[in-house]
Amino acid sequence: MKAIFLRTLSLPETFLSCLIITLFALISQLDPSFLQWEVQRSLSSHIWELAIIAIPMTLIILTAGIDLSVGSIMSLSAITAGMLFQAGSSMPLACGAALLTGTLGGFLNGFFIARMRVHPLIITLATMATYRGIAEGISQAKPVSGFPAGFTRLGQDEWLNLPFAAWVFFIIFVSVFWVIHRRALGLHVYAIGNNDTASRFSGIHVDRILIGLYTFSGFASALAALLFVARRNTAKADVGMGIELGVITAVVIGGVSIFGGRGTLVGTCLGLLLIHETREFVSWHWNRDEFILIVLGLLLIVSVVFQKLLRHKQNSS
Amino acid sequence: MPSLTTQNLSKSYGGTHALKNVSLKIHAGDIHALCGENGAGKSTLIKILSGVETPDQGLVQWNGNHLSLGKVHEMESKGIVAVHQEPVVFPDLNIVDNLYAGRELSSGMGTWLNTASMKQRTRDILDSLGEDLPLNQPVGEMALAQRQMVSIARALFNQCRILILDEPTASLTTRESDALFKTVISLKNQGVGILYVSHRLEEVFQLAQCISVLRDGILVSTQSSNDLSEDALIQQMVGRKVAYPSRQQPVNADITKNKPVLELKALSRTPAYDDIHLKIHAGEILGMSGLVGAGRSEIARAIFGIDEFDTGEILFNGKKLQNHSIRKAIDLGIAMVPEDRQRQGLALPLSVETNLLLPSLNAFQGMTGLDRSQMRSMSGQLISKLGIKTGSPDNPASALSGGNQQKIVLGKWIHQNPSLFILDEPTRGVDVGAKSEVHRMIIELAKQGSAVLLISSELPEILSLSDRILVIAKGHVSGELAREEANQEKLLKLSLPEEAKQSP
Repeated sequence: MKAIFLRTLSLPETFLSCLIITLFALISQLDPSFLQWEVQRSLSSHIWELAIIAIPMTLIILTAGIDLSVGSIMSLSAITAGMLFQAGSSMPLACGAALLTGTLGGFLNGFFIARMRVHPLIITLATMATYRGIAEGISQAKPVSGFPAGFTRLGQDEWLNLPFAAWVFFIIFVSVFWVIHRRALGLHVYAIGNNDTASRFSGIHVDRILIGLYTFSGFASALAALLFVARRNTAKADVGMGIELGVITAVVIGGVSIFGGRGTLVGTCLGLLLIHETREFVSWHWNRDEFILIVLGLLLIVSVVFQKLLRHKQNSS
Repeated sequence: MPSLTTQNLSKSYGGTHALKNVSLKIHAGDIHALCGENGAGKSTLIKILSGVETPDQGLVQWNGNHLSLGKVHEMESKGIVAVHQEPVVFPDLNIVDNLYAGRELSSGMGTWLNTASMKQRTRDILDSLGEDLPLNQPVGEMALAQRQMVSIARALFNQCRILILDEPTASLTTRESDALFKTVISLKNQGVGILYVSHRLEEVFQLAQCISVLRDGILVSTQSSNDLSEDALIQQMVGRKVAYPSRQQPVNADITKNKPVLELKALSRTPAYDDIHLKIHAGEILGMSGLVGAGRSEIARAIFGIDEFDTGEILFNGKKLQNHSIRKAIDLGIAMVPEDRQRQGLALPLSVETNLLLPSLNAFQGMTGLDRSQMRSMSGQLISKLGIKTGSPDNPASALSGGNQQKIVLGKWIHQNPSLFILDEPTRGVDVGAKSEVHRMIIELAKQGSAVLLISSELPEILSLSDRILVIAKGHVSGELAREEANQEKLLKLSLPEEAKQSP
């Protein structure tokens, strides 16, 4: 019993929860108005796109991979939808084409990684540049706007007090959570992250799983791009610029090991929450952008060092 | 005579005592063997002596002077150096750079490297070892035996007085081992004290003057090797008697009349192997002998669908296999225990249960998800059937000893009743007790009608288990021997490549 208690105590999720509670306690002292539901809701409108991409990113990092191209896939998908709409195609068709483009972009990443054995960091660094370059080339860096109301409502309407994007996130989260914790595929993902050779030798379709995960990442990025375009009613080649850093930071703060094999989806969600609340509060309270960067950097250092210490203690006891 | 002594060394990890009151004396100019099963505390002792770990209690003295413990640098400066199983070298650097890493010679007030004199000293050291290795080749491209020599050379460079060799021959061929023994003996004659840790008892008796035995962290005995028989030594190591099982064949039972499970016809892949023909029947153990690098593992990999082959045919239960995936091979009933247990066999940080069920997880999956209770009962059955020593199926595989880890790798397949088992060095680095358990399991598999392809570099193992033995040399089948006609000399002779036979 005591052992279980100690193990729970040393989980990164426990540590993160404590950090989040501390943060909220601090906020309620400094500026309780920040905690009002309306404020929270209006400040959270943009987080869902990042959160959607963080789900496949968690799985990819669990396999000891990485996907740097998510922002560029967003850009390419947004431009695809925008250009098609401008050229006169119907909005559902434009959206379908955007989703297809993103999915294909992710599939290409996976193909190079699994079949050509290119390191994920290198190939997604390359496609990060390529996809963004294509998007800029097609759009001539000009924004597209004036989307039909039926489409922009997806980004602005609410259902049960939460934006549509939040529901998209919850649906994806619940289904992926179920697959990871209740299906063989989940254990396969962890096995690949811990030892891909042994996984191959155990008959796990490592290549197929990797291609599937990167393809899923591309699809999720395209979905996030559409939600972004609907919310802002504008599609431009700089959509999703730098989002990969936010996503990876959240996953890593959430306790997912960058070397693969260790971490959970719940951890990622806690990481997202912590980053989001910190960032929004700093800009709400002090309204200084440079503070945000410093605080986020410090947060990453503190949480990573702390998790390392906890693991060390766990191993030696 | 100078000597290294330990007094009452104790070390425990968590609740388990890795070492208890170990007092040992190693003289310069002596070869002192250290034997014991995996988990007996040998590695802990080595770690303390090389300064990697600090003991909870006890002293280490060199020539009567106390050494401060837990400092690698202190130990190295006194000339106490350990060479590990997998030698630590810089793979992309050449020998000279490996020896001089961190202490390069420079001239011109430190402005440039004095390459010429570094090369000269390197050559001197290699000469003193009787080795002729290319100075410019990256060490990573060399054979394991040569890399080991580089590690030993590096140790000598440190004015080594006590050299600790940890399982030095575990992955070496017989010939490479012989070369190593010569070096070890010449070092001994130069006055270096050697602590020789090995599972291979023949070489212990061949080399050591003095043998110490550790069991469960306690020093059981230190004896002169002349006063000790091999059986007595094994008994001290395991606390009971162990022998190679002799495989009794039922009279009149001609296994070759059974249907062939696997047949290879002219299987070739350049440059690994060429024109391989073989047949394994149900219930038969076919031994595959040969030197490391002769192409045995590559043949096994082709059968299991890991690598492709160039030409020829693989027939499994009469069906032709071509470009098959590993999954296909498994589904058809082929199982493989790969040669490198930790890198290819196990996901070490994952639980014993997950590792055991990894190839068959899909079978436990229903509409609502994985059936955890069924998984638990299956893993429990396997753990008790194979005698895997673990506190709980949830413990990580990394916490188990080598022998128990190997049982997991076997257990992954057993419950699926494969018709062909490919076992690549199934007892490498496994202690004596677990070894005989693995041997018994192999015999049991054959008895239940599986065909077994047993690849092993250990001749007594091949000889005692196999029904037939195929010898591979340089990618060719150099001979096939029936159980009755085979012996160590014949196998060795067949396994040497042609040119070696001409100039022995």
